[in-house]
Amino acid sequence: MRGYLGIDVGSVSTNIALMDEQEQVIENLYLRTQGQPIRAVQKGLDYIRNRIPADMEIGAVGTTGSGRHLASIVVGADSVKNEITSHAVASSKLVPDIQTVLEIGGQDSKIIILRNGVVADFAMNTVCAAGTGSFLDQQASRLNIPIEEFGPIALKSTTPVRIAGRCSVFAESDMIHKQQMGHNLPDILAGLCEALVRNYLNNVGKGKEILGPVMFQGGVAANVGIKRAFEKALATEVIIPEHYGVMGALGAAILAGEAVKKTGQTNFKGFGIAEEEFSTLSFECGDCPNLCEVIEISAQDKVLARWNDKCGKWSNSILKKQKVGEEAC
Amino acid sequence: MPVKIGIPRALLYYNYFPLWNGFFKALGIEVKVSSRTTKAVLDKGVKQAVDDACLPVKLFFGHVIDLRDSGVDFLFIPRMVSVERKAYICPKFLGLPDMVRHNIPDLPQIIDVTVNMSRNEKNLFKALAGAGKQLGKSGFAIRKAFKRGIEEQERFHRLNRLGFLPHESIEQMENGLLDQNFPPNLSREMTIALVGHGYNIYDQYISMNLIEKLRQMGVNVVTPDNLVDDLIEERSGELPKRMFWTLGKRMIGSAFHFMRSDHIDGIIHVASFGCGPDSFTGEIIERHLRRKRRVPLLNLTIDEHTGEAGVITRLEAFVDMIQWRRAAQ
Repeated sequence: MRGYLGIDVGSVSTNIALMDEQEQVIENLYLRTQGQPIRAVQKGLDYIRNRIPADMEIGAVGTTGSGRHLASIVVGADSVKNEITSHAVASSKLVPDIQTVLEIGGQDSKIIILRNGVVADFAMNTVCAAGTGSFLDQQASRLNIPIEEFGPIALKSTTPVRIAGRCSVFAESDMIHKQQMGHNLPDILAGLCEALVRNYLNNVGKGKEILGPVMFQGGVAANVGIKRAFEKALATEVIIPEHYGVMGALGAAILAGEAVKKTGQTNFKGFGIAEEEFSTLSFECGDCPNLCEVIEISAQDKVLARWNDKCGKWSNSILKKQKVGEEAC
Repeated sequence: MPVKIGIPRALLYYNYFPLWNGFFKALGIEVKVSSRTTKAVLDKGVKQAVDDACLPVKLFFGHVIDLRDSGVDFLFIPRMVSVERKAYICPKFLGLPDMVRHNIPDLPQIIDVTVNMSRNEKNLFKALAGAGKQLGKSGFAIRKAFKRGIEEQERFHRLNRLGFLPHESIEQMENGLLDQNFPPNLSREMTIALVGHGYNIYDQYISMNLIEKLRQMGVNVVTPDNLVDDLIEERSGELPKRMFWTLGKRMIGSAFHFMRSDHIDGIIHVASFGCGPDSFTGEIIERHLRRKRRVPLLNLTIDEHTGEAGVITRLEAFVDMIQWRRAAQ
């Protein structure tokens, strides 16, 4: 039996999903990246290795997320795809007639509009990360409540307070103000959920035609308060998939499976890489005034890849199958 | 030794360089263009410029400093008020010579003639004649040089219509590119229109090499500069009120044309962060597109950040989306 592995290396979390040939999820994992993407990938692989069914071998590996290129070098990926395509693939496999996908992650939020199973439009948050998971995390810890209880507490609210959602700095001062006035915690949290949703719909979802069925995924989908705020704002039911946290990874696994169908074999380097020592090095190339910050990754003194140079001098200087920055499939 | 005049490779360089170059050369003046944008050039500009200027203006400062350090006798920074009847260039261009003069020390003499064609198109000659006089040239020589400049500008426009992009046309006129397999806009699988200010999209550094990235993905790139002015003017007439920003009007008019063309698979609107006119050209284009809903649109905002990951993710997803849509048809 063959299994397909999808790895989504995001800014805040690294998610891994393992599925079988029938595209059923066998194992999934949501890890904090903690600024060490390679370490997180290795940890994740180690976890999967111990839980993989005995008769299963890895038939394909796909990576996605902002660290997809780095991860693809480490694991030997068959497909490297951006997170928008990956999320869309996973959602439309799950609910074929899906028309809207809302995704809120650690620092990214996106909206994907699908029509007839095809992406028709998408948008991502711009320079500002207001109203993403990191902000909720931060507020939860400021109020001294575990993030897991955030949603359930918000649900108890009867009259959510109005909180400015445009900017998380304003939102925070507004929240403190409302606290000092004596509003209770559930109302403040529910107000925050509504502010976040309002901000998302105004910024990311600006001008988009949001039609049902609507799916909500990404780490923040764990928060039932946000789900309810979306349902209230959109006046429609919002579906949260079972594996909402790893949908990007699932999409990557599906895409990898398709890529391997074409090439016939996987590039996966095996679970042994979990023990391998990878080191990265960055240096400023001083050969021209561009001063590119070149990144180099190596395993046991062997340079695997270099990238981030504008002229290609460093990235082309080592023989390898593919240049980082180009899609593998 | 001939007098040396410096022209910064920024802002309206991408629109009018052939005119200026042809004019000064015919007067027997050596034209020195600043070097291509690099991190060092941008850094210098950002350090010296007023804080709330947009990125392209800050970059212009960097190019001025580059010219100052390379030792030119004069700097040509015309005050571009208007280049056509009853339409204007952005106010930042009106104050450009003054901003430069008061923020950068030790500058050579600045030739800052005012070009204002809003009432009378002959004003262009008057402006350049003023520049010629400051350089001590005779009326006869100036008239001859002006004719030469106009010829060069017309040649530039012809090359652009052939499918060269302005920076390539300039290269072609200066050094000749025809024998190096240009124009490059041939036999690619899809065509995307890049709609944005020339100084944002043709500068390889601040656009993060957008054009080359798209070409590497197999995309043919067209821009407003490939279109005839009359067409842009006619299409922009669809707005309920005539737009009085020349550059914004060019973006909207060409976007209106591209959204109807059968040869265009997608439109990318490139705006620089903090640009007033860009913020609503993008919005107007998006609204009109939504009524037709045929051509996909992507909004890209560029600013000082050099993290390419965000741009690459969006471009890849956009190209994927177009391919996916096609496969579904």
